[in-house]
Amino acid sequence: MRNAMKKLNRRDFLKRSSAAAAVFAATPGVTYAQVIGGGAPFDDYKALVCVFMFGGNDSFNMVVPNTLAEYNAYAQSRQNLAVAKEDLLPINPVSSAPGSEPFGLHPAMTSLQQMFETGTASIVANVGPLIEPTTKDQFFNQSVALPPQLFSHNDQQDQWLSLRGKTPSKTGWAGRMADLIRSNVAGQQMATNASLFGSSTFQAADETVAYVMGPGGPQQFEGFTPEQRAAFLRIVDADYDSIYERGFAAVQRRAIDAADTVTAAINSPEAQAVSTIFPQGQLGTQLQTVARLIASRDQLQMQRQIFFVATGGFDSHDNQNADQPGLLANISESIAAFHAATVEIGVDTSVTTFTQSDFGRTLTSNGDGTDHAWGGNQIVAGGAVNGRDIYGNFPELQIGGPDDVGGGRMIPTTSADQFAATLAKWFGIPDVDLDIVAPHIDNFMQRDLGFMV
Amino acid sequence: MNMKLISIVASVMLGLAGCGGSSGGGGNNEPPPPPPVPITQAEAFQFLNQATLGATEAEAQRLISMRYEAWIDDQLQKPASLQLPFLQAVPPPQFMFQLQDDRVDIWFRNALQGDDQLRQRVAFALSEIMVVSQLGVLGDQPYALASYYDLLVQNAFGNYRDLIEAVTLHPAMGAYLSMLGNEKPDPVRNIRPDENYARELMQLFAIGLVELNQDGTVRLGTDNEPIPTYDQAIIEGFAHVFTGWTYAGSPVFQGAFPTELRQITPMELWPAFHDTGPKRLLNNVTLQAGQSGEQDLSDALDNVFNHPNVGPFIAIRLIQRLVTSNPSPEYVSRVAAVFNDNGSGVRGDLGAVVKAILLDSEADPDLRLATDGKVKEPIIRITQLWKAYNAASASGRYPYNFAYIIFGQGPLQSPSVFNFFSPFYAPPGEIRDAGLVAPELEIATEFLNTYVTNYMFIQTFGWNHTAIPGTTEGVNEDTVLIDFAEEEAIAADADALIDMVAGKLLAGEISTTLRAEIEGMLALIPQDQGLLRAAETIYLIASSPEFAYQR
Repeated sequence: MRNAMKKLNRRDFLKRSSAAAAVFAATPGVTYAQVIGGGAPFDDYKALVCVFMFGGNDSFNMVVPNTLAEYNAYAQSRQNLAVAKEDLLPINPVSSAPGSEPFGLHPAMTSLQQMFETGTASIVANVGPLIEPTTKDQFFNQSVALPPQLFSHNDQQDQWLSLRGKTPSKTGWAGRMADLIRSNVAGQQMATNASLFGSSTFQAADETVAYVMGPGGPQQFEGFTPEQRAAFLRIVDADYDSIYERGFAAVQRRAIDAADTVTAAINSPEAQAVSTIFPQGQLGTQLQTVARLIASRDQLQMQRQIFFVATGGFDSHDNQNADQPGLLANISESIAAFHAATVEIGVDTSVTTFTQSDFGRTLTSNGDGTDHAWGGNQIVAGGAVNGRDIYGNFPELQIGGPDDVGGGRMIPTTSADQFAATLAKWFGIPDVDLDIVAPHIDNFMQRDLGFMV
Repeated sequence: MNMKLISIVASVMLGLAGCGGSSGGGGNNEPPPPPPVPITQAEAFQFLNQATLGATEAEAQRLISMRYEAWIDDQLQKPASLQLPFLQAVPPPQFMFQLQDDRVDIWFRNALQGDDQLRQRVAFALSEIMVVSQLGVLGDQPYALASYYDLLVQNAFGNYRDLIEAVTLHPAMGAYLSMLGNEKPDPVRNIRPDENYARELMQLFAIGLVELNQDGTVRLGTDNEPIPTYDQAIIEGFAHVFTGWTYAGSPVFQGAFPTELRQITPMELWPAFHDTGPKRLLNNVTLQAGQSGEQDLSDALDNVFNHPNVGPFIAIRLIQRLVTSNPSPEYVSRVAAVFNDNGSGVRGDLGAVVKAILLDSEADPDLRLATDGKVKEPIIRITQLWKAYNAASASGRYPYNFAYIIFGQGPLQSPSVFNFFSPFYAPPGEIRDAGLVAPELEIATEFLNTYVTNYMFIQTFGWNHTAIPGTTEGVNEDTVLIDFAEEEAIAADADALIDMVAGKLLAGEISTTLRAEIEGMLALIPQDQGLLRAAETIYLIASSPEFAYQR
């Protein structure tokens, strides 16, 4: 009976797979004709570290205008959610008059204030997913292309991580960078992309596969005698009929391949010598593991690495005033500790940390919290950052103002594509390939926001 | 199912394979169906792995004697195994979060021991669609979570309209998606209604983001783009509908302590906090001003319930949870048709939907394509192993509150309202290249797969029937032990041993590679080491790609 079915299966398969493709729009393949620099290895080491704040960070309470008129507009908009002016941690961007302190950081972010003032951190203001520059009029008369499903968590996370705009692409911008440089880093003992927070669209690629470890590193396989390991490998390498068995087996194969080498790297003397104290909790643990892996980069022959770390809890529909200080303190302390570790390792000018989040939040309150919005402020940090500045245009935080599409949802004045392209260029992606990393970059005048050296 | 299979074979021979018309009751002119072909043991196991949290020998025998439809009908009538009475019988612990251990315990007890196996499986699927979670604000509200899960179990075969109303008014959902305490606009304070529940109800529980055809394919507009189901004005309309609700019996509208009673009692309306203006809903409907909060809620849920997307949306999600990641449009359409009308003119009959999903020809493992079936969710791999091997602890408890850490998944333990994985997740490689999805692979990361694989190792070699709580290292009275004494007794005979384990875990269908590799490992273990030989066999099968695949 089963054999008799085979013919039906094949005929059906053709019909069914095309039908399924219509349901879950297929990804158009991106071809990488370009091999950067003839595929020669890089002559230096660089790492990007993405700190994703899941839920949508209310970043207009993270960076606040500190001049009287602008602060009053902010306070009028935010009402019971406004940070008191006297509590702000003042910052002095290089582009402002000395001592003018035109902005302040949330009072929980003393470490970030210190990094900013000492030139190892900057802010990119009101950045978010865009397809092309967008004004309020254009938004309402629909004369520009807009990213789909604005204000929805998973869709806007996806936009930040993939920059796909309206295309059905399922790759992320870190994944595309890894694909572009794959010939240049052929000797690496570990994938360019590594996540310490589950699989992420950010690192999804066509040609390369990200490696997912736990917050403290990989798990070792229990009871793996040489015979057990060999049998296990032959089992996962077997020829399976089902795409699901093959998909599962591929993960098991990568897990076995990487567990030993990556664990050895984390346990190496260089890695264990990193003595910087990290904040307790998930984000601090993840960044400590990243620091250890960076410390053992030579052992793994790594030249380019992109790490994905993350923490959640930012979806402050409720209890925002109670919850936000702890969330922002954790971001500030964790990024500062990680930067200190890169100084300790001696790679602070080779490692750049940046934040992303679903979206900014409404300036207006729903009583004790805020709702989903669009543009927000992000942090860039490290020794290669042109520090102590605010890049992009800080919007007028006024309900009904020129950047508000309703309820205090700010239209981004800088695109996530510009943000990504600036980081990609520093990472070593040639200008001609930036549109692979950031597909809409050609729609914007400024390809490089200038926040990297 | 075999009757369906025969009719499809017939239609193929007549050259009708492409038209997808194999469903339906058949016309009057058809000859009487041939007598049913007996259900094999393997077929019974495969069906039960779709319809329950794990096949057992006893249930397979029952299914074989009853046949599929009667078995389903019987299951539809089984009373629900609940959680809340169990939790309320436990003395309150010092810290409320500790009671989550007991909540997870009763989930496993019901999963492993309940008679209402189909109901428990469908309720778990629903808990991954209408998500609330212990991780977050509900961490110290175990009664709320148990009561919410009971709601899903009790409504699993009820009407979807009743289900979304119960979900909407449940204080667990109210607290999780912040409808609880949501107040009408106050322009003086720049306060507008909370949009959280309005958005996720539509996006995740009912209709999704874009308009669908009945077969689940995306409708395209005149510009060849998908058509959004709603816009911000509609979100705001629903957000205004969902104002004015808070804990039952609360002395204050916001900030009341979630007592046990408040955690389990549907929210009640405080009219003074309900917005009375007009409200924009789906499909160009506007609620008129001045309605009561109850009327607004009822009208708004009717509005959602009657959106044409609900049928295909719920069909796809339930099919993905029970049967296959990539249902054909024809399959989705057949199930959505049952959602739209159960045959008696009733829309939203979930029992009929579940039956249609399981009895569909595309759910028949004999008609497998390379793209049919799915990756098993990790916790279902665990319940299948445990059911097959009568897993129990000395205390009778299954206090696996850490399930979400070691398995990446546990009952009501999702990291967010977006569930453990996305229904659209497509891993890089052939699955994505073919435009297909494999949702469960989103959490089958290198890290979590290793965790689960290691759990299988500990479970088989360490936590088995020979371990004695208190004397065996790492084993206490709450450690769940599997019982494979039966395997141990015959373990000298490698072929018989492999056949026995494959029968219990793989419906008897083991690949030649896996069999050969197990034989190779058994050759290294002396024949008198029955325990080790049996453990090795179970470990290699339970951690294999074959066991991770639901046919």
